[in-house]
Amino acid sequence: MWDRSDPERLEQRIRLERDGTVTAFSGKIDFGQGIRTAFAQLVADELDVPIDRVHVVLGDTAQVPFDFGTFGSHSIAQETPRLRKAAAFARRQLLERASAKLRVPVDRLDTDRGTVVERGDRRIPYADLLNGTPLTGAVPDQLPLMPDSRRRYVGQPLPRIEARDIVTGRATFVADVRLPGMLRGAIVRPPGRGAKLRSLNDEAARKMPGVVAVIREGNVVGVVAEREEQARAAAAAVEAEWHLVPVEGPSADVPMRSDAGVDRALARASLRLAQTYVLPPIANAPIGPSAAVADVRPDGATMYVGTHRPFGVREQVAKTVGLPEDTVRVLPQITSGSYGRNSHPDAAIEAAILSKGAGRPVLLQWTREEEFAWSPSRPEALLEVTAGLDPDGRILAWKYDEHTNVHTAAGLDPQVLSVTSGRNAIPPYGPFAAKVTLHLEPTRLRTANFRSLAAAENVFAIESFMDELAAASGQEPLAFRLRHIEDPRFRRVVERVAERSGWSGGTMPARHGRGIACTVYHDTYVAQVAEVEVTMSGQVRLLNVWCVVDPGQTVNPDGVRNQIEGGIQQSASWTLLEELRHRDGRVVTTGWDAYPIATFNDAPAKIEVLVEGDATRPPTGVGEPGAVPTAAAIANAVYAACGARVRQLPLTRERVRKATATG
Amino acid sequence: MKLALTVNGARRDVDVPPNATLLSVLRDDLALTGTRYGCGRGQCGACFVIADGRAVASCLLTADQAARMEITTVEGLARGEDLHPVQRAFAEEDAMQCGYCTSGMLISAAALLARDPSPDEVAIRDALAGNLCRCGVYGRAVRAVQRAAS
Repeated sequence: MWDRSDPERLEQRIRLERDGTVTAFSGKIDFGQGIRTAFAQLVADELDVPIDRVHVVLGDTAQVPFDFGTFGSHSIAQETPRLRKAAAFARRQLLERASAKLRVPVDRLDTDRGTVVERGDRRIPYADLLNGTPLTGAVPDQLPLMPDSRRRYVGQPLPRIEARDIVTGRATFVADVRLPGMLRGAIVRPPGRGAKLRSLNDEAARKMPGVVAVIREGNVVGVVAEREEQARAAAAAVEAEWHLVPVEGPSADVPMRSDAGVDRALARASLRLAQTYVLPPIANAPIGPSAAVADVRPDGATMYVGTHRPFGVREQVAKTVGLPEDTVRVLPQITSGSYGRNSHPDAAIEAAILSKGAGRPVLLQWTREEEFAWSPSRPEALLEVTAGLDPDGRILAWKYDEHTNVHTAAGLDPQVLSVTSGRNAIPPYGPFAAKVTLHLEPTRLRTANFRSLAAAENVFAIESFMDELAAASGQEPLAFRLRHIEDPRFRRVVERVAERSGWSGGTMPARHGRGIACTVYHDTYVAQVAEVEVTMSGQVRLLNVWCVVDPGQTVNPDGVRNQIEGGIQQSASWTLLEELRHRDGRVVTTGWDAYPIATFNDAPAKIEVLVEGDATRPPTGVGEPGAVPTAAAIANAVYAACGARVRQLPLTRERVRKATATG
Repeated sequence: MKLALTVNGARRDVDVPPNATLLSVLRDDLALTGTRYGCGRGQCGACFVIADGRAVASCLLTADQAARMEITTVEGLARGEDLHPVQRAFAEEDAMQCGYCTSGMLISAAALLARDPSPDEVAIRDALAGNLCRCGVYGRAVRAVQRAAS
């Protein structure tokens, strides 16, 4: 079993092909973050080959080294050193082979775009050095890497490798996979989560056109048919009786920071402020509902899926269909962005059950309604925060209680909970005494991963509250933050976003306002300014957003901008519009009419993202950080525009109007 | 039922269930999977095709209705290897992330430019307002349509 604790093997990372192309392997998945392109840039530079000769294989469990999953904006941070070292090691082996072949010392050789060159002008293409002997070996931990001056692609804003396939419609998303003999599936849904099947009458369904079988395994009931319409019609005709068993999420209390003297400092503070912030549950709401293709045979299975965890899916599918894990191959396909939703392979498990039952490959496409109703959601959150200031207006003490539901299936270990369900609950400011506690509370709603986990919720509360503290003590919000920032990189992004947005200069038109918010997310520094207009009736229009981000050394600046812009746009959508409604865990907002998201007409005129990475620092992730401060930046802008402090999302017209009236 | 559709300039004969949607016929009978399923209710734009010059949701048309129309899917926008200006512009602006909504956006943009070769930003936003994107590339997509128009 290839485990992450094993040393990296070159042949698991880089393969030189006979035609001179290079295949690079990673267990990470590209949902649109652009990591396939970034990985190609890294490998092309380190191995010194033209980038169009680099092919990147992601997530195919038969080919890539073990990977725990694509989460937490870690892909670039984790994979950059591994891919660079492997490619550098491959290049060194090629130089050594050329040295033996030409009988010249290695130091007289160099590489140039896919060839080894000798100073005397002799050139050998990499492919001619293969001789049927692949490049192999344990990748040394220490080896010289390509100097920055010789890197052609890293740092360049290259377009996405998949772009042409996507714009021509040729890209094969999960539901576009077509296999010989493939059937279509549809699931018979129970009235609620965790329901147990009592009885089943499938007589009528079995006789319907195109129906091949009605399959039951445990509490999963589904129909397979020649066509999707037929499978759906038959699923609707299955009579099933269910016994509802309520399912509740876990509870826990996790002290995340417990400095001495917080209560004493709060008691003697010259100004004390306490506020509560509330966020509703929201849906991941991918545009493409979940889908999976399963080909389960007696001797093994192949799964075509969208997932964050190909090796996790392999394990779960193997267990579900009773096959040894090494006979199951998971082949992740291009998939609709899902922002964490695909951490749970629901459709894959169901498709595997149907395929096993039918003895043929099955494509299972969830409907839009199923996606809303049966997917996990981002949990709701209630954040209570109290702080005390000294006479000079500095924070003396901070008390923070995060009440929420579980954010991942990663486990209930306090260490794990504090970095998942409690992510970014500890404020990035100092120095002051702080007490931060995570209270995990049970819910009947199925909750799980959404982009940045709890960070966006916590930062909404922390950054709204920083503004409220500044206002309560008569301080300017930007200056108040800077007084409490010690880290120079953090300071710089905050100062730069103020500069870029013209924070301190000029006057705003009536009912326009700007708000600032910032955070540090997994070592990526990000600061944003939002500008809004609030109408007399309380309607918030987002006009402009400025963002400065420091993700360390930057592989693809345009890829970074795209991710950050998207994070801002997505967060603006849930800040202004979104609330998932449920009754006892049963989601009732199951369509785009009941659960509207931002459209082209809601998008701000401008989202300006400046990528100002500290090139001396290792690269960090950008998939999530941009999404984290936006809600607070908007809420703070609403306050600046009309004096309405809204502490509950979404920032609906009614809430804004009410908060304006009460001041 | 037997139908003759006109898709991307070619006659395509199919034999499909009476109420089959154009979307399912494109995807399942004609192997044109670039048109995506998103909601089945005409609310997201992922399945847009051009039908007699207008961008419409193929999930709301039956194949029978579509048989009387000229249908263009995302696969029919390019002329061979020569991309349509909106396809080129979306790739150049990197106006996509996951790409699931891209086909529908390209269809709306192509239909817009066919009737209004130099739309202003408001017209572009209006024309694409039926295309939902969850990754948040709206700003880039507007720029891409502007680039294609110029």
